[in-house]
Amino acid sequence: MKKKSILILCVSLAVCLALLWLLQALLMPKYMANREGALIAEYYGNAGNNDVVFIGDCEVYENFSPITMWEEYGITSIIRGSPQQLIWQSYYLMEETFKYETPKVMVFNVLSMKYDTPESTKEQDQREPYNRMTLDGMRWSVSKWNAIEASMTQEEREGLGMWGYIFPLLRYHDRWSQLEAEDFQYLFRKEQISDNGYLMQTGVKPVMGEFTEAPLVDYTFGENSYYYLDKMVELCKSHGTQLVLIKAPSLSPIWWDEWDEQMENYAQEHDLVYINLLDSQEQIGIDWTTDTYDAGLHLNVYGAEKLSSYFGKILTEKCGVADRRGDPQLSAIWAEKVKIYHARKEEMEAQS
Amino acid sequence: MKRLIAIVALLCMVMSLAACTAPQTSDNKGTTPNMGNPGDPNAYYFTYKGTEIRLNGDMEVILNALGEPKNYTEETSCAFEGLDKTYTYGSFVIQTYPKADKDYVYMFWFLDDLVQTPEGVKIGDTQAAVEAAYGADSYNGRNAYILKKDNYSMTVILEDGVVSSIQYTIVIG
Repeated sequence: MKKKSILILCVSLAVCLALLWLLQALLMPKYMANREGALIAEYYGNAGNNDVVFIGDCEVYENFSPITMWEEYGITSIIRGSPQQLIWQSYYLMEETFKYETPKVMVFNVLSMKYDTPESTKEQDQREPYNRMTLDGMRWSVSKWNAIEASMTQEEREGLGMWGYIFPLLRYHDRWSQLEAEDFQYLFRKEQISDNGYLMQTGVKPVMGEFTEAPLVDYTFGENSYYYLDKMVELCKSHGTQLVLIKAPSLSPIWWDEWDEQMENYAQEHDLVYINLLDSQEQIGIDWTTDTYDAGLHLNVYGAEKLSSYFGKILTEKCGVADRRGDPQLSAIWAEKVKIYHARKEEMEAQS
Repeated sequence: MKRLIAIVALLCMVMSLAACTAPQTSDNKGTTPNMGNPGDPNAYYFTYKGTEIRLNGDMEVILNALGEPKNYTEETSCAFEGLDKTYTYGSFVIQTYPKADKDYVYMFWFLDDLVQTPEGVKIGDTQAAVEAAYGADSYNGRNAYILKKDNYSMTVILEDGVVSSIQYTIVIG
């Protein structure tokens, strides 16, 4: 009788947990329409054998095409990007990446240096959803735990805190009234929305005028930003990986000269390569009337291909990244990626 | 069976508690930030050729009065559905935020000494002139006077002892 009770209890518990898991899977955003939130999770299916890993915000996942770099230079690369990814998130993604592979070059986009704390981003109400788009997609590890700890806003800490990340159901339980068809369609299996982390855009919206922003009271990057940049330098050094700092050629937000100078100095002091690609727009061949889909904030696929072609050369010539097209196994894997990329491009062009 | 009911009841309780403590951002887009009230008469403003340019003011009214700007850019709003727009006139820049199919002034700043604050301060003025207009309390001790009123902010930046920038913005709440 006692055995039977224990069995019933165990089965009941298992059923309850399974139901809760199912409910959680249903209520969590799938990011298939709003694609940016799905990028981080896509890394794991493509991890390993990447000689170059790009890490950063939208300025990496919208501006660089790993497929182009493979086609033109035989470079194996992947992007670990997410919207408004903050520097501590980039650091922990970098740390986590080393558990899966040791790339020859790690490329970090330095725009996020401007945000010193979770509170320093302008729209506080938007911070938590942005955090989610980076953190929910990470697999559980010490790196994820630390990334959450570093990322939570005061409001998050005072609310669900870490529990909201451990059990996302607690965070998303009230999405039940907003469920859409994609929540059911992608309940168990999501579509791959990126090409090795690159989020393709085929639209064209030319730059309308010169971007302008109000001058700042203080241009000095914050201590916390430098703390994580220092950690990146140490981390890459300890793995024998070259850290390359870049500023992608997006025209907005403005990259102030004072910021550029600080990065130049930092790179010099730490013996790093820092490339401000805004200075090379002409050599890259960017035409802001045709190569952007959102009037200068990000490149479309035509601009991204030009930039990747330009940057691939730097990776090959300056950083010594090898041409891997002679490797039959890798060539077979990348041939499939290339096929998917071009099919996606054709389909999106037909739609736009 | 009683235990099963107890477990289910416990889980329900946990879920109910979670419902009470979860943030109001129920989807993945976040909530709309508090920008104050459009048309707020207490918001900071300045006047240009008889037209009042005020934080949270209706941009359509300003556009009708001032005409087409010298330079215009737009970008997808991070915080709202729609576009953040930037209008550059000769001596100042206005940035707007979208709300209910209209655009309201989110920020404006001066570019030269042809415009001035209602208190008479303009770019190129001395620190003494700024202090005479706004007092010493708002000085940050280094290079700026930062004044706050409700959820609005005014910043006067100094470079080499003279005013280099004057800017007004809504502080997003």
